[in-house]
Amino acid sequence: MSDVPVLRELAVRELQVRSFRNIARADLVFGERFNVLSGDNGQGKTNLLEALYTVATSRSFRATRPGELVQHDGEVASVRASVEESGDLREQQVGLRAGARQVKIDGKRPSTLADYAVRTPAVIFHPGEVSLSMGAGSERRRLLDRLSLYLDPSSMAELESYGRALRSRQKTLETRGTSAPELGEWEALAVRHGLAVMRARARAAEPLGRMATLAFARIGAPDLTLDIRYAPGAPVDEDTYLAALAARRESDRHRGSAHVGPHRDDLSLLLDGRPVRGVASQGQHRAIVLSLKSAEVQVVGESRGVHPLLLLDDVSSELDPARTEALFSFLRDQAGQIFLTTTRKELIATGSTASRVDFRVQNGTLERTS
Amino acid sequence: MLSPKARRLTQLLARLPGVGEKTAQRYLLYLLTSGTEVARELGEELARLPETLRPCVRCGNIAEVEHPNEDAVCAICRDGKRDGHLLCVVARVHDLVAIERAGSMRGRYFVLGKLLSPLEGIGPEELPLAQLVARIREDDVREIIVATPPSVDGEATALLLKRELGRELGDSALTVTRIASGVPHGGDLEFADPITMGRALSGRQKL
Ligand SMILES: [Zn+2]
Repeated sequence: MSDVPVLRELAVRELQVRSFRNIARADLVFGERFNVLSGDNGQGKTNLLEALYTVATSRSFRATRPGELVQHDGEVASVRASVEESGDLREQQVGLRAGARQVKIDGKRPSTLADYAVRTPAVIFHPGEVSLSMGAGSERRRLLDRLSLYLDPSSMAELESYGRALRSRQKTLETRGTSAPELGEWEALAVRHGLAVMRARARAAEPLGRMATLAFARIGAPDLTLDIRYAPGAPVDEDTYLAALAARRESDRHRGSAHVGPHRDDLSLLLDGRPVRGVASQGQHRAIVLSLKSAEVQVVGESRGVHPLLLLDDVSSELDPARTEALFSFLRDQAGQIFLTTTRKELIATGSTASRVDFRVQNGTLERTS
Repeated sequence: MLSPKARRLTQLLARLPGVGEKTAQRYLLYLLTSGTEVARELGEELARLPETLRPCVRCGNIAEVEHPNEDAVCAICRDGKRDGHLLCVVARVHDLVAIERAGSMRGRYFVLGKLLSPLEGIGPEELPLAQLVARIREDDVREIIVATPPSVDGEATALLLKRELGRELGDSALTVTRIASGVPHGGDLEFADPITMGRALSGRQKL
């Protein structure tokens, strides 16, 4: 690597959690480097990571509605973090209840949710992400959207508008038939916002692909080349896209969703020119996922100018020494603050103990043990 | 905890938009503890409301009732200095108020009352298109400024108006314009400051 940009330091100093999933109350002071959360399954380790991710970015990494994050007997959940960025402290807060989410930075509401979402970049690694390489396109679209938010803050609103226009078209098809005149309006809007989403994703895919290719050469097999390209789900020419929507009203009505559009976008992953699904081994899939995540860390970090928080859920779930070693060698190269959950803390090779703080998670309560 | 009468009043207050049960209880306690005058005055005004204020029969704005048996017409519709050839179409009375606050609108208004929104069960037939067309013909309107909010439903409504007015009025001298997107994306006209709103109006473009 030649010109690595200098990134500012970013760390969560303190965290207060109230009525969040199974965590009734937690007040924690974190270390600036490795924070290891250990405990048996179902005790609340992932919930704590989720609380951290939510206060950092306003959203959960699990697909949920705000109300699902609230503890069963509570009405409101809240998470507060004191965040230090190159010496300056700020307080971030998120309050959640059914159907609503409220965020504040230093007691004030930001002008948009997107403003809040990029203040404290966090990248989560979780076991389900193996589908980034092996699964259908949804995880890869979400990856592109997370990056788009940093490169083009309006992309969040564009994606929401696109979804609403498309659902309105579908509803119109179902309730008013394929010749309802207002379908033209909904299709025009689906195309307008769909093209904006596709532009943002194409822009995000470029550095992501470039950095993932480099990362794969380091951690995967040096004699294989990983090539990543944005594969748009609709024609990028406005008139062609409009015509494609108009031509498929009848079948879209029966199918229950539109054939074309960025909701069908993907990233094509090629190993030496061939699609990875089918040719890659388990180990190669994992190397591809780690390459994509490492590229995500880089793109997010460089666009915000800080070291993102790294959150790793259940890192010892697969006792594959080669994979674990690749992951830890990656982590040791990362300069930022890191949070890990594990059922077996003895497997977490963080290097020096001075830079490590341990917490025990049991039945929704957390306790610092070192 | 609350007596049946107190509960009934709380439930009525909680029907107001933006008022939850807790706020409704706060209102009730305030009315109980701040002396009888506030409650009596508010009650009398509310009881008289249907005889004092009504939607303007021409535009949908709030209008003062002059004669109980006649249609109410608002101050803007009666203002002779307004340019009758210029008509601004808004979704709600709030939006009309926000535009008026900017002070640069010299025409009159038409309040749709709703936006095209199939997801909320509102189709084109629920929009007062026939009334709008009648109004345009009656007043010989030359320019329609569509000032629906910059949300997806607001944009769809703007596009639909453009198409429907074109179909109804053919090649008449009517121009349909859209306010510039100076107001926040996906946002609300209500929250736009007067300067932004003024710019959005003067920067309007042909749809
Ligand atoms: Zn009026």
